[in-house]
Amino acid sequence: MPQVRRVLLAAALLLLAGCAAVVPDDFPADPDGTLDRVRSEGVLRAGASPRPGWVDVADDPPTGREPRLVSGFADHLGAEVEWTVAGEEELVRLFEAGEIDLAVGGFTDTNAWVDKVGLTRPYTEAHVMMVPMGENALQSELERWLDTQPTAGGRP
Amino acid sequence: MSRAGSGHWFGHAELPPPQAEALHRARRLEVVTLLYMLTCVAVVFATAGSSQAMKTAWVEDSLALVPPLAFLIAVRLGRRRPTADHPYGFHRATGVGHLTAAIALLTVGLLLAVESAMGLLRAEHPPIGTVRLLGHTFWAGWLMVAAMVYTGIGPFILGRMKLPLAEQLHDKVLYADADMQKADWMTAAGTIAGVLGIGLGLWWADSGAALLISLSIVRDGWTNLHYSTTALMDERARTYDDARPHPLTDRVDEVLSRLSWVDDSRSRVRDQGHVFHVESFVRPVSGRTPTLEQLEAAADVLRELDWKVHDVVVVPVRDLPETIPDPR
Repeated sequence: MPQVRRVLLAAALLLLAGCAAVVPDDFPADPDGTLDRVRSEGVLRAGASPRPGWVDVADDPPTGREPRLVSGFADHLGAEVEWTVAGEEELVRLFEAGEIDLAVGGFTDTNAWVDKVGLTRPYTEAHVMMVPMGENALQSELERWLDTQPTAGGRP
Repeated sequence: MSRAGSGHWFGHAELPPPQAEALHRARRLEVVTLLYMLTCVAVVFATAGSSQAMKTAWVEDSLALVPPLAFLIAVRLGRRRPTADHPYGFHRATGVGHLTAAIALLTVGLLLAVESAMGLLRAEHPPIGTVRLLGHTFWAGWLMVAAMVYTGIGPFILGRMKLPLAEQLHDKVLYADADMQKADWMTAAGTIAGVLGIGLGLWWADSGAALLISLSIVRDGWTNLHYSTTALMDERARTYDDARPHPLTDRVDEVLSRLSWVDDSRSRVRDQGHVFHVESFVRPVSGRTPTLEQLEAAADVLRELDWKVHDVVVVPVRDLPETIPDPR
């Protein structure tokens, strides 16, 4: 299929050329610009689903190990956390509607929502956080930040 | 036979030394291909993550194992001598291998095309995060790009090495394999484009690249399906790349008509895989019955044409059979 191959080749060259120009600052980028928005507006919209030992929602704002990490990440981005407390399914719906940027709830990497939300690389004992699907700048920034957190490792 | 033998046989056809050498090299290259593609399958599987283009490339790499396997098996079977149950020998094994490879390509190509198109329609945003290797954290997309560079290089070289061997051996499975591999680097380039597209925030680049790759697989499958089925249906023999009718199909009647006792002839030449089966109906001058020596000499003249012409039947007839259309 010569035409298809020419198109593939042209696309590859174009993207390679394009990448060479932008790789230094904004790579990977968010299709929906979540990370940029959090930084510029100073608000990280986080969801929390209760899970004993990880997320405690008795108080407002939620407390526990994962909310602490979320606050730390928000500080890192120069943002305040705006919490939404809901069940897992509702949090997934909020992600799909683009209404939250991050969610915690003692989720693990065998999570059933993997087709609908992005999951971070496990930061401790297979535990992951949820991010919007395909917002790769935000996901990469969060994963890198979690790597630097000594408190992220070990048991709660 | 007047030609120097090589000791290598396709059924009861002995290969001339250049073909025997080509066969030896082709088998070695196909074993190398198998081993190399197995490492590619492992590398791409390990890095694919959630990129549709990577998954498509992985399936294509896995499928690329079929033609070398089909070639090695077909060549092994094709070498067997004819038996009472298989009086034509086992040459058709090549055709069966060709058909198998074609159906695998076509089916998987269609499945992948549908999957990528659905991904585009549903506007799926593929997530690619970071990986941590040896104490460094970097974007997983770079790992995918590296994997695709690795899988792109081998086929590019192997395909070009196998192409001339396919012509020498008149092996269509080998040709299909070499031709696909020759173009395989574009799959790699397309996948890299898709992954880098994701990095730029273009979520559609990945599914788009996957769609184009799968369409090229469908195209490969369709072409191969067409020629493998027509060959199994005893189409007139065609060149190794199926580009045109094989020149030998005309040469057969040409050399027969040069014999002094032959008035006219009509022949059927079919490709059994590597070797041709020739049936020639010959009308002698002024209806005189040819001697056994003349008939044997006629068959020898045909065999002298090419190593591929081996299974030859020459039948003297009063009138050329009307059931066989004039090939010219």
